Amino acid sequence: MEESQNQVHEETPSYWTSVGVAGLLFGIISFILTLIYGYSLINSEPSGSMFSPIMLIWLVSCLLTAFGGMVATWHYANQYDVVIKLGKGALIGFLTGACIVIVSVILNEIWHLIDPEMTQKMIDSTIANFEKMEMPADQKQQIIDSTVDSMRTNQNIGRQLLFGIPIMGIVNLITGMIGAKLFGKKEETL
Amino acid sequence: MPRSRIFSQPFAGSNTILIAMLSLKQPVLYFSVLLMTVFVFLTALGGGLFGQTGFWQTQWQHQAFANLCHQIPERSFWVGGQPMAVCSRCFGIYTGFLTGWLMLPLWTVVNFNITMSYKKIFFLLIGINIIDVLGNLLGIWQNTLASRFILGFPVGFATAELFSGSFFKKIKQKESYYGGITKSGT
Repeated sequence: MEESQNQVHEETPSYWTSVGVAGLLFGIISFILTLIYGYSLINSEPSGSMFSPIMLIWLVSCLLTAFGGMVATWHYANQYDVVIKLGKGALIGFLTGACIVIVSVILNEIWHLIDPEMTQKMIDSTIANFEKMEMPADQKQQIIDSTVDSMRTNQNIGRQLLFGIPIMGIVNLITGMIGAKLFGKKEETL
Repeated sequence: MPRSRIFSQPFAGSNTILIAMLSLKQPVLYFSVLLMTVFVFLTALGGGLFGQTGFWQTQWQHQAFANLCHQIPERSFWVGGQPMAVCSRCFGIYTGFLTGWLMLPLWTVVNFNITMSYKKIFFLLIGINIIDVLGNLLGIWQNTLASRFILGFPVGFATAELFSGSFFKKIKQKESYYGGITKSGT
């Protein structure tokens, strides 16, 4: 009995392909969305409002990258036709979330080699937008300074990973569990 | 998926909840998810809760959710003079999930007459939210902070309820059989 259990355990296929596929797919989606937002911001006329029409793209894609975990477990279940325990679904989800952030950060870094001026253009565009806002001059200057400072420090890879992985990982962990529940075969019987 | 009567059993009190907690099947996973959800919930509340006064976009809470939510301040609740790190719909989803997750042990003793599976409810609620987003984008109607929160909350709640039965065993009390006719006739 114990031997057969060990055999089943040994024969469990690796989930890394599913994590990689979903992580890459949603990482690219996340990167493209960031890119569209960035260039729309650069090319838009300063309006003086926090809300701009370019943000509408985020309305449609809100929480889209949270479904990476679910897609990874679906891929895993579909590819290997295996039973997925909730814990395994959670692990696959978390790793997918981490993978999404890593892929997105790497692609961002590569893009900054292609267009090194992008960050500076975004900063200029943001400052121009703030300049149009109606508020006291010292308050405006304070907001501009902190935003510019933040946009520069956000380019740090370690910082992007530190802030990105925990939340993206947890949200994808939950969707990974949902995936295990929806697409795994009879999880409760285990 | 359990299909039972509304409040088929009276609320059994703290003893039954305690029994439900003791019958927890995957305690590490349950409490890990609970802790992580509390962390996500507190982070989603934004910098205002922690007395941060800097520009909201530069706060770590906003950066943590940057790839997950549009974070438009006009579409977010405000706490302590700062917008939350997520929009009102996302906040509704996270709040609903945390509430649903905390209430999972309760469903071992309290039942609702739900004739539709949680899977169908989950997808139905997601569909309603997509319709709401599209209707608002196309200018058919105008949703509000409260309406988005109200529509998001059940999505999170239903998501947590997908796991009812995965962590806690259903408790059958003797009283639930009183007045009922069983197959064996006893």
